[in-house]
Amino acid sequence: MLFWVALISVVVMLGAAFAVLFLENYLAATAAISVVSLALSVLFFVLQAPDVALTEAAVGAGISSVILALTLRRVGLWRIETHKDKQ
Amino acid sequence: MIIIGNIFILIGTAFLCLGALGLVRMPDVYNRIQAGTKATTLGALSVLLGVAFHHPDWLPKILLIALFILLTSPVASSTIARAANRAGLRPFTIPTNVSEEK
Amino acid sequence: MNLREISSLVFIVWLGLLLGAVLKIVAYDNILTGGVGTYILTHAAPELGAENIVTSVLLAYRGLDTLGELTVLFVAITAAGLVLGQRRTDAPSDSDAGFILRTAANLLFPFLIILGTYILLQGHFSPGGVFQGGAILAAAFFVPILASPASPLHHRVSRLVEGLVVATFMIICLLALFSDDAFLALLLGKGSVSQLFSAYSLPLLHIVIGFQIGTAFAGILARLQETEASD
Repeated sequence: MLFWVALISVVVMLGAAFAVLFLENYLAATAAISVVSLALSVLFFVLQAPDVALTEAAVGAGISSVILALTLRRVGLWRIETHKDKQ
Repeated sequence: MIIIGNIFILIGTAFLCLGALGLVRMPDVYNRIQAGTKATTLGALSVLLGVAFHHPDWLPKILLIALFILLTSPVASSTIARAANRAGLRPFTIPTNVSEEK
Repeated sequence: MNLREISSLVFIVWLGLLLGAVLKIVAYDNILTGGVGTYILTHAAPELGAENIVTSVLLAYRGLDTLGELTVLFVAITAAGLVLGQRRTDAPSDSDAGFILRTAANLLFPFLIILGTYILLQGHFSPGGVFQGGAILAAAFFVPILASPASPLHHRVSRLVEGLVVATFMIICLLALFSDDAFLALLLGKGSVSQLFSAYSLPLLHIVIGFQIGTAFAGILARLQETEASD
């Protein structure tokens, strides 16, 4: 039973890692990094390590994505194109 | 008790699936925000209610989690919509020819 | 496909194989044979009075490694402060967020502090500990700044708190050094397992290190936020 939860979290993690490498928009890649951290935190919980799962969720999804997004803003890669007349 | 909990969890997962489907298939940012917030908040609250039927002694913690989700999910969606508006994204429109009908 | 895409695919295939190996050896029951592990499992609770073995390993049995991690954190903050530099005084600051986000951030601030302190304090008998509580405390201080950037965190206050915390940690350690008992047999005695005031002086160390980590993270985030966006 727990095997299926672990398998689904592994598949989500691999898919999100794929998305991080092949997305064009840098801000969307930052969001995909936090999805990887989320799936990893679930995997840690299945492996019976609640402390590490809590740390990974707090630091990976909270602090790490914010630091990456702020760094993107500092470097100047955070703008998206404006769609004025998108039908 | 457990059967009622299972029914609530099933309803919650159905709403979460529909929310995810809407997130993929909607044509515009604003529509996607609506699908991603309303349906998923309801789905998450319903799943929490089902879990509360399974374990009645977890009720205070579940109530706190539900309150937290109810507080932060609409704020997040309104902030995303405001950011999209300030970035310059215009809503998705289909032109209608009103003048030809007269 | 160019070299970048090929290397990305190779990396993902390797990651998939690694995670497949993890799936195969998922420990659904306790498999632990010999060595330091079994010693710690049997001796942690009677010796220290702490029920959470991970925290007792982090702070008591392997405290030297935790000291190394805190040093790394300090060095990272100093390096970030050096690299990012000061903000120009005439640079336009970001506009405030909307009314909804500002109100929700100011509303969430006390609850996040309560949650962070709760996770911090019961780290020795429940899953929790310094890093988790410190990260949540840092988020608690950072969310109102993010919502209204016009009223920033005062760097002096942050530095003062951080200095006070490190000084308290050193005072506790020096006092422990001069007592004739084991290192952590300090103020609060052993207590009984799974009580709040148990495990010698582990709760004190928790509070001090947790606040230091919280202010360190909040300092990094505030300094990153203050830098102007380049175009």
